[in-house]
Amino acid sequence: MCTPNLISRKTFLTAGLALAATPFLRYIPAQAAAMDVTEVAPGVFVHQGRYEVQSPGNRGDISNASFVVGSEAVAVIDTSGSAVMGQELRDAIRAVTNKPIRYVINTHMHPDHVLGNVAFKQDKPTFVGHYKLARSLGTRANSYITANKQMLGDAAFEGTEIVLPTLAIKEATTLDLGDRTLLLEPQATAHTDNDLIVTDTKTNTLFIGDLLFSVHVPTIDGSIKGWLALLDEMGKRKAARVVPGHGPKTMELPQALEPEQRYLSAIAGDVRRQIMEGKTLAEATRTAGFSEKDAWKLFDQYHVRNVTAAFAELEWE
Amino acid sequence: MLTAFKSLARSCGLAALAASMVVLASPSAHAEEDVWPILKEQTFGDRTIIEEDGLVVLETPSKVEDAALVPLTVRIPPSVRGKIKSLTLFIDNNPDPKVATLNFGPAAGTGGERSFSTRVRVDNFSHVRAILETEDGSLHMTKKFLAAAGGCAAMQAKDPDADTADMGKMIVRKFTPALQSSPVWAAQVMVKHPNHNGMQLNINTAEFIPAQYVKEMTVTRDGELVFKLDGTFSISTNPNFRFTFGRGEENNLDVVITDTDGTEFKGQSQPKGS
Repeated sequence: MCTPNLISRKTFLTAGLALAATPFLRYIPAQAAAMDVTEVAPGVFVHQGRYEVQSPGNRGDISNASFVVGSEAVAVIDTSGSAVMGQELRDAIRAVTNKPIRYVINTHMHPDHVLGNVAFKQDKPTFVGHYKLARSLGTRANSYITANKQMLGDAAFEGTEIVLPTLAIKEATTLDLGDRTLLLEPQATAHTDNDLIVTDTKTNTLFIGDLLFSVHVPTIDGSIKGWLALLDEMGKRKAARVVPGHGPKTMELPQALEPEQRYLSAIAGDVRRQIMEGKTLAEATRTAGFSEKDAWKLFDQYHVRNVTAAFAELEWE
Repeated sequence: MLTAFKSLARSCGLAALAASMVVLASPSAHAEEDVWPILKEQTFGDRTIIEEDGLVVLETPSKVEDAALVPLTVRIPPSVRGKIKSLTLFIDNNPDPKVATLNFGPAAGTGGERSFSTRVRVDNFSHVRAILETEDGSLHMTKKFLAAAGGCAAMQAKDPDADTADMGKMIVRKFTPALQSSPVWAAQVMVKHPNHNGMQLNINTAEFIPAQYVKEMTVTRDGELVFKLDGTFSISTNPNFRFTFGRGEENNLDVVITDTDGTEFKGQSQPKGS
């Protein structure tokens, strides 16, 4: 039996989606519809971000954001890339449940995963991250704010600020949501120096943030060696599904990791050979890893930077 | 009443004057052009600088991907014969525009193509300049424009704990040329050092990370000076230099680096080959 309340909410959401899908009515007002989320396993909801760089048009909606609903409370895992997207994620949660939002977890420091945190301040949750997240995000805060304000434009950036974690995860830790727990595992430097793997133990769903990119070219902001080593370890894990930071809502281990392993291995192999041959960083950026050019979206935006980072790391071997 | 009016008029006049000064001092499209005469005066006084005469060539990336790690290469073509005295690099719009000055010694070599490469931070759209002083004391300049921004305030250490653990680690590599009789050989010096520029704010502590950077580097070949470099924080984290030197007998390189804290780091090339 549907309550009248539920009918009206469903009708409202459907109408909102229909409006958003109508090309002539693309303008989305400030009180926008809730974010589009899919229940990928019982009580596990994922929103898929676009394969784009931040722009006024996408309002920072470029990464995946998730939430898990327990019998007592809700945990959010990554909050998208602006205050307005964070608010729409919160609206999506409120369309599903009125249980308190107890935890807001960030899988790592990047702005497209943390800038929506501010929309949850009203819930007074515990903000959770790897024990190095606060330092790494803290030292980058000003440049992240400046860059994202410029990329998003004033309207989409409105209200955005950096919210640092209040709970630092230094060793494997569980969080209780009532009848289900989340396992939080901090990782050694890989995609960044503050990657956190979150597992919903009830459905064996792994949220691995930007340790996994699919379709969107990976970006190296930690250690290419550490990342490749971690991917080897992750390939041995058993999980019902993984949620990547960029890519489809869910994927399967270990095959989900393979394109990324191939990409990072291609860069590492080419760069190591060029270092042996006495080539310079500038020379490496013109050739290394270009065999991967057609396999990824946003290759032109991030690849040369990845080679630069890999070269600066691998030349110390 | 009249006094008050006069006083008001005077203060308005002063305010207007102050306002016009603000306008004059405000950054404009021409601001960058304004910096160079001052830098030139401070560094070279009234000496003549010949521009773009081909004696010094500057290579910069066509597109800057990481403003905290921008590779720069200066080449001195083989047509330039004889010794070179000094090389100075500027990034006009950086907080400290001077990147480095190299004063060359007897082991810097003559003949062949001489070169110097490093990686720099670029804080804003800016001209980059290389000024070469040749044996006769004449100055030769080339410049390039770089569209990069944010390299100085941006925190670029990807794994600060690993870098701190390795601080002072130095690698000195020689690249033995295919033809060992080549008059100039190439080498590389890299040192693990944060080169903190004092402009990175830690919002957790609301404090700037104190400046600490490589101030001096002396490179010798078989005991003779190749060059002494005076550096600034425009050089990227984990400073990295590639350069040429004149072929000698043993071709052993010794490197001594001193940072702003007075800490000394020493390195040597392997006795044989690479």
